[in-house]
Amino acid sequence: MMGALSTVMAQPEGSRARPDRRRGLLLSLCCALGLTGCAGGIELPNVLYLAISADSNQTIDSELVEDINTRLKLLETGFRRIYPSTRFQFAAYTETGLQTAMARRNRAGLGPDLLLINGDVAKRLVDDGLVAPFPLTPSLANLFNPGDLNRLRLPNGELAGLPMLIHSQVACYNRKRLPEPPSTLQELLSASAKGHNVGLSVELSSLFWTAGSVGATEAWSRVVERKPLSRDDLNSIEAWTAWLQNASDQQRITFYANQASALAEFSAGRLDWISCSSNNLPRLRKKLGASLGVTSLPSGPGGTATPINRLRVLALGRNSSRLGRERAIAFSRFSVNPLVQRSLTIGSQILLPANRFVKVPVQSSLTLKAMSDSQEASQRTAALVNLLHADDPRLERAQTLITALVFGEINPKGAADELIELMETKP
Amino acid sequence: MKQLLLEVLGWLGYLERPSVVLQLILVAAFMLGTRVALRRRLLPRLPATGYPPIGLGLLALCGGLLAFLRQPYGLLLLLGTLWLGWYGLRLLHRLLLLWLPEQATHQLESRLLRPAYLLIAAMALVSEVDSLADLAVAPLGALFGTEISAGKLFQAVLVIYVVLVGCGPPAAGLAWLLQRAVGMSEGSRKAMELMLRYAVVGLGLVVVAVHLGLNTTALIAVAGGLSVGLGFGIKEVFSNFVSGLWLLFEGSVRPGEVLMLDGDPCEVRKLGLRATLLWRDRDNAELLIPNQTFFTEAATTYTATDRMRRSQVSVGAAYHHDPAEVIALLEATARQVARVLPTPAPKALLLSYGDFAINYALRFWIAHPMDNAGICSEVNQAIWHAFKAQNIEIPFPQQVEYSMVWPPEQHKPNSEHH
Repeated sequence: MMGALSTVMAQPEGSRARPDRRRGLLLSLCCALGLTGCAGGIELPNVLYLAISADSNQTIDSELVEDINTRLKLLETGFRRIYPSTRFQFAAYTETGLQTAMARRNRAGLGPDLLLINGDVAKRLVDDGLVAPFPLTPSLANLFNPGDLNRLRLPNGELAGLPMLIHSQVACYNRKRLPEPPSTLQELLSASAKGHNVGLSVELSSLFWTAGSVGATEAWSRVVERKPLSRDDLNSIEAWTAWLQNASDQQRITFYANQASALAEFSAGRLDWISCSSNNLPRLRKKLGASLGVTSLPSGPGGTATPINRLRVLALGRNSSRLGRERAIAFSRFSVNPLVQRSLTIGSQILLPANRFVKVPVQSSLTLKAMSDSQEASQRTAALVNLLHADDPRLERAQTLITALVFGEINPKGAADELIELMETKP
Repeated sequence: MKQLLLEVLGWLGYLERPSVVLQLILVAAFMLGTRVALRRRLLPRLPATGYPPIGLGLLALCGGLLAFLRQPYGLLLLLGTLWLGWYGLRLLHRLLLLWLPEQATHQLESRLLRPAYLLIAAMALVSEVDSLADLAVAPLGALFGTEISAGKLFQAVLVIYVVLVGCGPPAAGLAWLLQRAVGMSEGSRKAMELMLRYAVVGLGLVVVAVHLGLNTTALIAVAGGLSVGLGFGIKEVFSNFVSGLWLLFEGSVRPGEVLMLDGDPCEVRKLGLRATLLWRDRDNAELLIPNQTFFTEAATTYTATDRMRRSQVSVGAAYHHDPAEVIALLEATARQVARVLPTPAPKALLLSYGDFAINYALRFWIAHPMDNAGICSEVNQAIWHAFKAQNIEIPFPQQVEYSMVWPPEQHKPNSEHH
């Protein structure tokens, strides 16, 4: 009797363990069903995943993220009028870390739907199979300059990405300390001689505008294209290196290891003039307020400066679902709409529209005028930019040579010869 | 905070992608399958640790198949690697047990290895769907006028955790070095170790506050407000903490000290933030006594200046034995007990003349106060043997029973009945 009772008493313990296991299995099953979206009533968020690469002169910090958020908000608000349930989620990467991150995410099937990146990066990512070519319709192609599109064309004629906006290289100066910005290289040297602090970076992409002012851009294009050089070409390249060394000899001209350092010094008010990218303007405006002046880069005896501008494109990710791809294409089309491009340009005053039908109001804004001039001048470097990617290993070596030049370790002729030899080699 | 939550919720959108769902289902299926197989012992000859490698192997095969079909497999690979890592931790547990005691292994695993592994796993998973760099700068709100970002908060919590968990060994090492250099006692070394830990934790908190960029004026204002709160709300906790610190500096209650608690000698095992952990030899109990108790109440210690204790046993001898002989015998007996210290020499005393015996006390010194009960037992046994050998009687009261007859007038002595 007692034995039977104890059996009965012991039963609940065992039976308690079994329902626990069953509950676990049931929960797992529900999770699996939930994951597949078959649970009914579970509605997944309509998210457009966007990856944005920061420029090499930008660091990913709260200000940059806030800036991206603000600009994206403008687009999001407009886009949600047409597609109300769509949400945006962006992830910012450095230009150097983008490729690795995209390869990893793509391998997992978790790559972004859309990437906002530089045009040359888009081409490289398509080559690596990390980005899908953009399906371009004739009506869409008509919106852009054929030159811009050609730069984004792949060997098979497909488009690496849809041009969206342009970041221009301009001159930034402190109005309070330098009321009249220099318009020529000679004036720049004179301003430094008068006690104004000038900052330059030894990074080739930040410094190359001086080659245009000295008249060496075309010679450099021929070097990179590995075309035969004339005596004039060699002389112009040597004149450029000589100007750089001469500038470094000036007491008030400082060469910085990178553009970010020059920007930090300028923001802190220790520099009066620097060359900068238009995407640095929001941060500089926040720091300097009305003191910030923006103008065109100084021209010189060789002509106008040749800034390196960045064409930012929208590239399609490879992992999107059917709906995700539709959202990405719809958003891309929306972004290059003339109305949106115009409001982006005027609203932010830090970018130029890629849509050729959008007129930039240069009369009402000196900043937009400087950017517009920069864009016009940058046509001289278009071929060169096409051949030299941002992560080209030759650029790093060139930076070392320029550093040696400005520190007087090598003479202008030696630097010119070594740079030519370097740029003629295949990466 | 809202932005961060929206970001996390937004990741659910990836479930719209069939390739992601497929990978998740495969991983979930193999993990569950392995668990069920293990519980039901579907392969009876296989040891329990043999099941996960089979599940992992099958998962790897699926991953290979997906790669062959040019389908995304990275998530499956990552989750499989994390599963493998978790399994590796279980194997590491056995290895650690060979080198470390069980408690230390458990602490190392639960406080350092597993949290670190989970953290790395979470970061690896997040970096698959988002950029850690921009998540780190996501604003969470303001604290004392300072903007706190997710990255800053994460770093702060990580530093505090590492300082709390990881400052033990370096503090112990430094205390050991100081002990060697200055010649401190063992108790002082332990006290020094604890004080160093508190100092490192305090310094860590200050560094975290500075790293977060917290406004010091605001912190002082908060500290003022908090002190009022401390006065009312958590007075006892704070009082115990301060008492603990004070006792450490004073040196009266340190790990290794022996205190009398309710008549029992107890060894101090650990002086915590709130309470002191004592060990009672009598029943192997561990007692948690609030630090405040030692601060406000009288306590008897045997280890304040030295660790010797004078102990005493009492014994009675019959009146017909010469007290001088008994005293000499008692002292000689005590000297023969191994754990009784020779100096100061044992001392026997005639205490009083009792009802049936002369009462003697034997006082002797022992090296460790916690051994008192055991040594007293040894001394008492030695006395019994010595008295027996010398024919010294230990008297005890005897009772004589008389049978009474009622009425008392009819009572006759016992002898008359027989």
